[in-house]
Amino acid sequence: MSNDQSASAPGSRRERTRSSSADPPDDASIDIDGLELIYGDGTAAVRRVDMRVAEGEFFGFLGPNGAGKTTTIKVLATLLSPTAGEVRVNGFDVRTAPRDVRKSIGYMAQETSIDPELTAEENVRFACEAYGVPRGERDERTAELLDLVDLASVADKRSEEFSGGMKKRLDAATALVHRPPLVFLDEPTTGLDPQARNRLWEYFERLNERGTTIFLTTQYLEEADRLCERLAVILDGEIVADGSPADLKRQVGGDVLDIELQGDGDTSGRAVAIARDFEAFDDATVEETDAGISVTAETARQSGTDLLVALRDAGVIVTGFNIRAPTLDDVFLAITGERVDTDGEPAEVPS
Amino acid sequence: MSSPSAESTVGGRTAGNTFAGDVWVNFKRWNLKAVRNPFVLVVSLAQPFIFLVLFTEVFGNVAGGAVSRGLPGVDYTTFLVPAIAIQVALASAVTSGIGLVNDIENGMFEKVLVSPMNRTAVFVGKTAAEVFRIAVQIAIILGLGVLLGAELATGVVGAAGIIAVGIVFSMWFIAFSNVLAVLTRDQESTIIGANLLQLPLLFLSSAFLPLAALPGWIQTFARLNPVTYGVDAARAIMVDEDVMTVLDVTAFDGALNTIVPAVAALVGLGVAFGAVAVSLLSRASSSDVR
Repeated sequence: MSNDQSASAPGSRRERTRSSSADPPDDASIDIDGLELIYGDGTAAVRRVDMRVAEGEFFGFLGPNGAGKTTTIKVLATLLSPTAGEVRVNGFDVRTAPRDVRKSIGYMAQETSIDPELTAEENVRFACEAYGVPRGERDERTAELLDLVDLASVADKRSEEFSGGMKKRLDAATALVHRPPLVFLDEPTTGLDPQARNRLWEYFERLNERGTTIFLTTQYLEEADRLCERLAVILDGEIVADGSPADLKRQVGGDVLDIELQGDGDTSGRAVAIARDFEAFDDATVEETDAGISVTAETARQSGTDLLVALRDAGVIVTGFNIRAPTLDDVFLAITGERVDTDGEPAEVPS
Repeated sequence: MSSPSAESTVGGRTAGNTFAGDVWVNFKRWNLKAVRNPFVLVVSLAQPFIFLVLFTEVFGNVAGGAVSRGLPGVDYTTFLVPAIAIQVALASAVTSGIGLVNDIENGMFEKVLVSPMNRTAVFVGKTAAEVFRIAVQIAIILGLGVLLGAELATGVVGAAGIIAVGIVFSMWFIAFSNVLAVLTRDQESTIIGANLLQLPLLFLSSAFLPLAALPGWIQTFARLNPVTYGVDAARAIMVDEDVMTVLDVTAFDGALNTIVPAVAALVGLGVAFGAVAVSLLSRASSSDVR
């Protein structure tokens, strides 16, 4: 360890935050100021990101594939060095004190990372040793974590025999051996069945209740909605929205009226024109969907039926409709212009 | 080095191993993996062992004559055992790169990079486990060889010496297989790339027949072939004589005239290949975006 590092790491993080005037006044787990990351081939994966995550927060990081989510998380986990900007994790600079950052975070990569030749128990034990968990506590810690992720009964089985969900849970356990105050979860539930996903959600919630800050990226907006207190949306390497799920939904501007139509694109086109001219919806957003059209407006609930009548009068046949509160999917669509492909493949890793 | 801050607690936990501790953690993991994969252990022993038995049985009579012309009183089994020891080192060294590729593929490579372990210690521990396995395997081959009638002129000390030569020899090939691993990042390419080389390297060397009995072009190639130096050094210890024909060194005494130059050549080669492997590995684990 260099003198530099030892000088910047006196005792615990809390002491440090208080002792230095250069630090943010409150306890920030993550403090990103002007982060830029440009790959060797000139691709700007992250253009300019400023972001704070408070201690104890359950934070969600959303964005379409290739928007810069994984790149940002890799910078925070010291796997990539920022091209520009200042990044502090648990009070430590990722550039000058990477080892202190590594000691203080848990990281669960997008791709499940376990040693398939070792048993569940050996995987967790290796992580204990890698993170310097004191010898006397390893047995207990290993047992406790395997219990937490419901793998105690298969502790002595080789992990290559596990299902995808079990492997993910084991991976999560190995990221927690040193009881890190901050955990990164990069698409932790991608590719899992709903039951396995629900189980992982419960673990993450329990973890967060114990005071752990969680930084989550996900393709599933339902997941973000259920788990996260605060969200940020990244698009083309820049943060384009930030707030609680409820805040973001409010920004969509009203309720959503989905209308299914009989006929082809022509019909939908006519319906879109009618909805746009519809007087009761002066602030409406109207879009064509696969089944018909979708109208978002403050007065969607009150005046929705009038629009249906207007459509019928114009000879457009309505085969179904639904009025609902906006979801994060609508938020995402409004912000990024893209629907999230929730049943798709794991996101591509920019490299 | 061990200032109080090295033991700094993060999140209330004592964190941070020593360098030696990190080496040990990784040494244990790779040994555990080796034990979990007895198939790999057996296969990397089986082929050399089959060579040992088949060659002595099939070529013993024919080759014996060529051997005793150069080394009177040495039978073919005794001549062959040091070569098989080097073959074991070669076959086992390949698994180093394969282990690295597997780690990259199953995410353990990155998992280790985000851990606070010292990265040099991580690779030292892994390589130590591989070297340890090579030592055990050479010991087994020497034991089998003696059972088959080979004579080890220098006894137990000589056996330790042959194991040491095998380890020094394995360095360049361990490094080479890691270079293949980092460059291809693909298990099959690494296996094929490394295995394709093995037989030509063995046959175009002093391993199976005295060079004097081989065509001129092979003798030329053998002079540049690291296997020749590994085999000659091991064989010099086996028969306690100066057996090297590619270099004529007379500055030392007896077998040392082979051992010293051969080991020096192998160390140089190991350092050269090692430097390439280390630089590629540190690039692969660096956080700099390229």
